[in-house]
Amino acid sequence: MKGTNLGEFEELVLLTTIMLQQEAYILRVQEELKSQANRNTSMGALHATLTRLENKGFLKSELAGATRERGGRRKRIYEVTAAGKNVLTESRQLRDNLWNQIPKYALELIRI
Amino acid sequence: MEPDPQIRFRVDQNLGMPHKPDISLRIIRALCKPELVEEIEGNLLERKDMLGYSSYAGLFKYWFEVLNYLRPSMLRSFRKSKNQGSMFIFNPRLALRNLLKHKSTTFISLSGFVIGLLSVIFLYFYIENEMNYDAFQADKDIIYRAKRLSTINGEAYGVGVTSGPYAPALLNDYPSTITSACRAYPQNGLVEVGTKQFYEEKMLFADTNFFEFFSYPLAIGDPQSVIDDVNTVVISKEIAKKYFGDLNPIGEIIEVDHEYKFTITGLLDDLPNKSQLDFDMVFNIELFNRYDWFHGWWYNGLITYVKIQTAQEAEGLNEQLPQFMDKYMGEDFERNGSKIGLAMEPYTAVYFNNKTRFDRVNHGSKTNITILGLVALAILFIACFNYINLSIAQSYKRAKEVGVKKVLGANRSRLILQFIGESLLIMIFSVTFAIALAELLLPKFNNFFGLEVIFTWSNPVVIYFFVGLILTILITSGLYPALLLSSFKPVSVLKGGKVSLGSNLIVRKGLVIAQFSISIFLIIATILISEQINFMKTKNLGYNKESVLIIENNNLEIRDKKEAFKEALRNHPNIIHVGSASGAPGGYHDGTSIQISGQPESIKIRTVFADPEYLKIFDIPVVAGRGFSSDLSTEIDYAMMVNEKVLKDLGLKPEDVIGKKTKIPSWEMERTIVGVFKNYHFLNLKNKIEPLGIMMGDFHRRYLVKINGHNISQTLADIEEIFAEFSPNNPISYRFQDDMLAQHYLDEEKQVRVFMMFSVVSIFLACLGIFGLASYSAQQRQKELGIRKVLGATMAQIMTLISKEFMILVGVASIISIPLSWLFVSGWLTDFAYRIDLTDNWSTFIFGGLIAFAISFITISLKTYKAALSNPTESIRYE
Repeated sequence: MKGTNLGEFEELVLLTTIMLQQEAYILRVQEELKSQANRNTSMGALHATLTRLENKGFLKSELAGATRERGGRRKRIYEVTAAGKNVLTESRQLRDNLWNQIPKYALELIRI
Repeated sequence: MEPDPQIRFRVDQNLGMPHKPDISLRIIRALCKPELVEEIEGNLLERKDMLGYSSYAGLFKYWFEVLNYLRPSMLRSFRKSKNQGSMFIFNPRLALRNLLKHKSTTFISLSGFVIGLLSVIFLYFYIENEMNYDAFQADKDIIYRAKRLSTINGEAYGVGVTSGPYAPALLNDYPSTITSACRAYPQNGLVEVGTKQFYEEKMLFADTNFFEFFSYPLAIGDPQSVIDDVNTVVISKEIAKKYFGDLNPIGEIIEVDHEYKFTITGLLDDLPNKSQLDFDMVFNIELFNRYDWFHGWWYNGLITYVKIQTAQEAEGLNEQLPQFMDKYMGEDFERNGSKIGLAMEPYTAVYFNNKTRFDRVNHGSKTNITILGLVALAILFIACFNYINLSIAQSYKRAKEVGVKKVLGANRSRLILQFIGESLLIMIFSVTFAIALAELLLPKFNNFFGLEVIFTWSNPVVIYFFVGLILTILITSGLYPALLLSSFKPVSVLKGGKVSLGSNLIVRKGLVIAQFSISIFLIIATILISEQINFMKTKNLGYNKESVLIIENNNLEIRDKKEAFKEALRNHPNIIHVGSASGAPGGYHDGTSIQISGQPESIKIRTVFADPEYLKIFDIPVVAGRGFSSDLSTEIDYAMMVNEKVLKDLGLKPEDVIGKKTKIPSWEMERTIVGVFKNYHFLNLKNKIEPLGIMMGDFHRRYLVKINGHNISQTLADIEEIFAEFSPNNPISYRFQDDMLAQHYLDEEKQVRVFMMFSVVSIFLACLGIFGLASYSAQQRQKELGIRKVLGATMAQIMTLISKEFMILVGVASIISIPLSWLFVSGWLTDFAYRIDLTDNWSTFIFGGLIAFAISFITISLKTYKAALSNPTESIRYE
């Protein structure tokens, strides 16, 4: 098992997966990444990331839902595990903490 | 085992049949992990559905996705069986053991490959050297040589030499086409530096732009100006070493022919390749400006090169050249009654155009190169066939090994890899040996064939060629045995049953036949080519060439005392005749037209200027009229004789010409024909006898001395002494007439040597192969032979039993190669005007077959004799 830290891209993928709920399979994830984060990825690259997240224990998956467009092949639906949710929360808290520590005048200075 | 991919999908029938896999899906299926295939395929299909099927952009995006799936995390492992230890990977140590176990076959295949590769290495570099003549010339594609076109009595030929005025006139008349011109005039002369004095044969007089026009490299000197002064010279490194040792030659002075002094201003660098112009000293041609001959259109001794930018322009120019010739030589043409043409010959074509006459550049022969290339290929074939044959023959020994390995889980591709690996090992050994041997034997090889081959391993083309060659050999000779061996079924070989080699028998027999066909072909060709050379050397040439010494009349001292020198020689007891002439038979014979009075047409003849002794020295019989009288005062500038061929071509009888005045317009001479002499071969036997005239005249370049057979070395020493008396400052240069004639056939002699060498090599290799096969056969039939012996077979019977099958093959090979060699040799002979008749030499063809037959029989007997001797109790004891 590799380290359990979360990369920036991995975080995006995890968040997208949660957002998509039952729809979370590779093509939808890819689409959302493109439309929301403007990230171009190939399925191969994305697949590698998803597998990595699965290996780290943040995702679990199962094969289901064969459709006609898929020529009768099932797809792999991903679901975020408790560990995944924890790591996302941790990451969010870290960011919120950092945001809160920024002095008000500094925020005004950069006009946020 | 993984489930079959075809049944891996649980396909919901309501959703339709699985997509018919196209190429992209098949790639995924073949390369990706099986557990991922379904998902990936689904994703890809869905993506394709989204992208649409028609647009190129969609297709491109789709393929981008497909290829992006091919990453390490997706790819399957290609290790098929879990039960494959190091035993089945190519294992050099195992291969080495296998090779050592079968020492004799290993030796045979190894030596076969070494000899084959050795031949290929030599011949490759020889051919490469030949093909790369002048390759270093930067402008080789735009340089042309002016070639004169002439006909002698209907037969057209080209002449490589031109005269001084061509170059300036061409530059003047076609300024837009011809951008520059350069003349080169090969000469020889006596070079003197201090006390060192040598006769140099490779001098070149050239225009001052020589080093700009061509790309001959200079070690010292500026190409633009190095020979700008008339009395300057550029010398090669060898010449510098010869005269000055390790001292710097620049600025030193050399003296030529006791007449001219030259200052050395430059040093030639070594040439990257060889060149058609062969020289080691370059002088300024303007030295000759003061002489009339240099400005005459008819003194043809130098070579004119021009630069023309495109091939089309050169062709266009060739069409205009008849007018050019008419403009400058029209009057002469009218006077002579015949014309001469001119053509621009591409520089790169000059080297291989060895049909040009009177050419003063080096030539090579494309035919020779092709023949040698084919011979090298044939030798290599024989070596490969040996290897294939022996591997097949050996396969029964290794059948068990294959069976056991298969049982233990080796698959076929692994076994193929293993056997090819063994072949590779043999190849690596052979290549190493062959290269080492080639380096070692190169000087001997060059010496034996009279060549100057250089190895240039560093050239990338060479490396590509040899790597490619080795791979080809590996595939052609390693693949078939590997496929065969790996195809054995474990059940049948392990059961102890016989390995069936039935279908290979045809292959093996075919290979043996091919080997022996090549060998017999080479044997026959060798014999017939040497027959032809022998024929040319011994054929009655119509004159007596024995014991005639040719002394060069090459310096002023001896020229001035010509008659006195001849007289001094005549007083020697062992000298029979002394004469002088413009040339000797076999040498250069200048051509001209003559007009016999009373005849409507002029005729082109070759000429010799001689003194009255000429006919006596060579024993040339006079058939009509009289020979030359020795009274020079009346004879010189008066008499001439012609050969029978002149009469035949004009359709005349001797009495029609004898006493007739004859004009020679191009030289402004008039002679009277006093007699007719018998035809003799005054050129060499490659050429037909042409019309010839011998004239009394004074342009003698050589002394001809007929000596008798008593104490030749003393006579030669005396002649040298007499020469030194008359010419104390110049060394003598002489050779024998028959030696000079032999020079004409050097090329053919080289060919014979090459053929001889390679026919020996090929028959040796073929015999090695057949020896290996015979030993295999004897071993295979050991039991049968034992039983036969017990039942009373004699030794002779047993020996014939095994020999028979091979002898039949050799017989078939002779039947194949006899007509082929007949075709080849008769083609080769067409180059010779006088040649042996193949039907007279029919026995050679039989003989070639018989030699192969005898040699192979002896080889096989070595093995069969042993087999026949072996004690039956040994061979049938077991089982």
